[in-house]
Amino acid sequence: MLILLKGGRIVDPVNGRDEVADLWIENARIVAEPRGKLPDEVHDVSGKIVMAGAIDIHSHIAGGNVNCARLLLPEKHPARTPAPAALPLSTAGWSTYQTGTIYASMGFTTVIEPAIVPHQALQAHLELSDIPIIDKGTLTVLGNDDFLLSLLRDGEGQAAVADYVAASVSASNGLGVKCINAGGATAFKYNERAFSLDDVVPYYGLTSRQIVEALQRAVIDLKIPHPLHLHANNLGIPGNVSTAIATIEAARGQALHLAHLQFYAYGDEGDRGFSSASAELAAAVNAAPNVTIDVGQIMFRQTVTVSADVLRQFNSTGMAKPRKSVIHDGDGNGGGIVPYLYRESDFVNAVQWACGLELFLLINDPWQVFFTTDHPNGAPFTTYPEIFALIMSRDARAEATARLPQDAVSMTTLPSIGREYDYNEIAIMTRASPAKLLGLKDRGHLGEGALADVAVYSPGKDLAKMFRFAHLVFKDGDLVVRDGRVTHYRWGKALKVNPGYDKAMDRRLAGYYDRHFGIPRSTFAVKEHILPHAEPFQEVACAR
Amino acid sequence: MSEAEIDGKPVSLKAAAERSAEILLSARMPIVAGLGTDVAGARVSISLMERLRGAYDHLQSDRIFADLDVMRQAGLMFTTPSEARLRADVLLFIGNDLTRIWPAMMERLSPGEMPPFDLAHQKRKVLWIAPSRSAAKAEKFPIETLDTTNLHATLASLRARFSGKPINAGKAVLRKLDEFAEVLKNARFGVAVWGGDMLDSLSVEMLYGLITDINKTTRFTGLPLGAENNAGGVLQTSGWMTGFPMRTSFGRGYPEHDSWRFDTNRMIESGEADAALWISSYGREVPSWKKQVPLIALVPPKTKFARVPQVRIEIGQPGIDHDAAEFARETGTIVGRDASHTSEALSVAAVVGQIAQHIGRDA
Repeated sequence: MLILLKGGRIVDPVNGRDEVADLWIENARIVAEPRGKLPDEVHDVSGKIVMAGAIDIHSHIAGGNVNCARLLLPEKHPARTPAPAALPLSTAGWSTYQTGTIYASMGFTTVIEPAIVPHQALQAHLELSDIPIIDKGTLTVLGNDDFLLSLLRDGEGQAAVADYVAASVSASNGLGVKCINAGGATAFKYNERAFSLDDVVPYYGLTSRQIVEALQRAVIDLKIPHPLHLHANNLGIPGNVSTAIATIEAARGQALHLAHLQFYAYGDEGDRGFSSASAELAAAVNAAPNVTIDVGQIMFRQTVTVSADVLRQFNSTGMAKPRKSVIHDGDGNGGGIVPYLYRESDFVNAVQWACGLELFLLINDPWQVFFTTDHPNGAPFTTYPEIFALIMSRDARAEATARLPQDAVSMTTLPSIGREYDYNEIAIMTRASPAKLLGLKDRGHLGEGALADVAVYSPGKDLAKMFRFAHLVFKDGDLVVRDGRVTHYRWGKALKVNPGYDKAMDRRLAGYYDRHFGIPRSTFAVKEHILPHAEPFQEVACAR
Repeated sequence: MSEAEIDGKPVSLKAAAERSAEILLSARMPIVAGLGTDVAGARVSISLMERLRGAYDHLQSDRIFADLDVMRQAGLMFTTPSEARLRADVLLFIGNDLTRIWPAMMERLSPGEMPPFDLAHQKRKVLWIAPSRSAAKAEKFPIETLDTTNLHATLASLRARFSGKPINAGKAVLRKLDEFAEVLKNARFGVAVWGGDMLDSLSVEMLYGLITDINKTTRFTGLPLGAENNAGGVLQTSGWMTGFPMRTSFGRGYPEHDSWRFDTNRMIESGEADAALWISSYGREVPSWKKQVPLIALVPPKTKFARVPQVRIEIGQPGIDHDAAEFARETGTIVGRDASHTSEALSVAAVVGQIAQHIGRDA
């Protein structure tokens, strides 16, 4: 099947292209214009924008905590319309099927679920298997697990840490490593109610900083492409910008990804003791090229916070709306699910909203900043189109800012920022840079040989509409979306790494599980044949 | 190979699947009931009901909803058996049904052992409200017991005494409750363990309130034992596929959840459901309906029915006859189970898949 996308504006920053040209697709790949062959299918895309499929590096779409949130809030996601016959369950609110359908219709073709504890890996992969169209990946959560903390306490050395990290990522079929409030979930089990970078985890005598450094180094030693993905301490606390800046310094010039930085961009100035410190934080990011961040933009609506930062979630149960929450002291991290309503009229929420946009606009290099809402924590991913509009249009921002409490706006620098993202920067932030950060050479660009994940948009005055309903979307060269509507399901892969390690670690872990949990380690294995689709995984090479 | 019958007479599996599809297609409101099956079986069954605009339920929904209704009205704090085993310095057992529900509980939680993660490094304290006398006596470690015939009142009184509020009780009872409350106050990481046979939603909600109160000053959490027949795995699968738990219907072409409306026992007896696919792969459970509807039964060999089902197909057991993913009580997560005695017996997923092949997409 030879497909020609004729005469669109190709926006492909990886290959330095922003020009009107043809794009050819054959057998799931992008190819050079073939000589002497006529296309089987031609799509006239003149006047349209042609980009690679978008990649979301941080969105909670599967796993025990996410599923618990679904079950906690049946009243918040009623279905309303029958599903088309070709798309069963696609209208079921917040289902895996709806997740894949909505992502695809926006031109997203790869999404990373960033928080799967090893013991929940099988359920996570079962859920991901039921998300249609898109490719997926998971990050394996470490940093509150007894085995790791014991290794560090006993000073076993970095090689042992790397072997353990590799064994854990391999067993959970993860694409990388996530660390969530390192040591904090464990400290909470010892009744600590606050936990910062240099606080000590009881029983282990380790600081959060030591855990982060060890994991960061292990990821580098193992040549896992995606750097340590860190959810820092003190999320959501006024004045926590100092923690964020200390964490950037703690990276010591080495690669580190900081998740949902908006939640750490808070000062404690003003009458309300709450202010935006985004300008200061953006400056710190601009000065640290080794660091990448994603924003975690909030939007004003009902949502639910889902996080393995159990300590933080417990502390926010009093703010739950509706008033109910789930706190799970799990193996290692666990999780907390706290519903929340972000309101335009709320001072704190208004500052948070501005903080996120300031980070988008004040971090100079679009290769360093990633487009997220920490779905569903800041907002559901369905708000992405509105956020594209906000960062691409100063007028859209001014209009939205005018509706906010002005005493909140005055605690931010947002009104003074004129920057508007262009298509090229959007393509960097949502395509080129995510692929690079995750080590995915086969996507994020439109060069010859790339996977034919392609999104075509109809530019218009209404930017949100443009990004909500892609004109055409191809996944692996298969046309799955026409005019914002998914036409059929197909089943993507879960991307994973397979880092090499000394297999003696597996024997050691087997003994540890038997003694410690009284459960064979194999109980938690993710076996391919248990998953519903054939060949569910695609390996990503470990190399830097 | 699996045995199949139509109206009690042996037939090929293909014929049984075709007849099953006919029955389900001719129904106005078909249901899947029982749903005692692994994740794969639940997946295909839910998909089948979506296609036929039917409803689905699990044979132990009542037990699931005792906990789930509290969670979605008030909340939940819970932990894993591993955490309880490794960390709990106080175990609060509630109900005489625990070791019957989970025979391996004592072995798994090792209440007599010292919890390795507890800083104080002392023996655990074990409290048991409404204990099973025989189970409590069989253990070699001390257990503080509190008998009651009214669990609602006892849990409410304990919560009141924990917060220093007066209650109307005799001296002996008051002293006992205060002893218990004192242990809870001094717990470092306590775990309350309960089953679904004795505790209804009101008890679970009171207990959650108590746990919430304790967490104002120290750590305490829960370990609900849940139900059998992979109720936990079906709940999770239903959750990600539809957004809702079992007792969900596709009558309007999209999932709607209502734990009363789509209780399939009620739907059958009221005449709302007019054909049933009954699935029980973990044991020989059969429906207890008084009303007769056309019935397709996916059950183990030797299952006894009062009335011969229209279609009966024998199936194997997950984790024994075939590999399966299911919720494991011993870990609190979904795990893969390798078949212990691989056989030719069919899985629910395979049989329902065959039935689905005879049902068009636009049924």
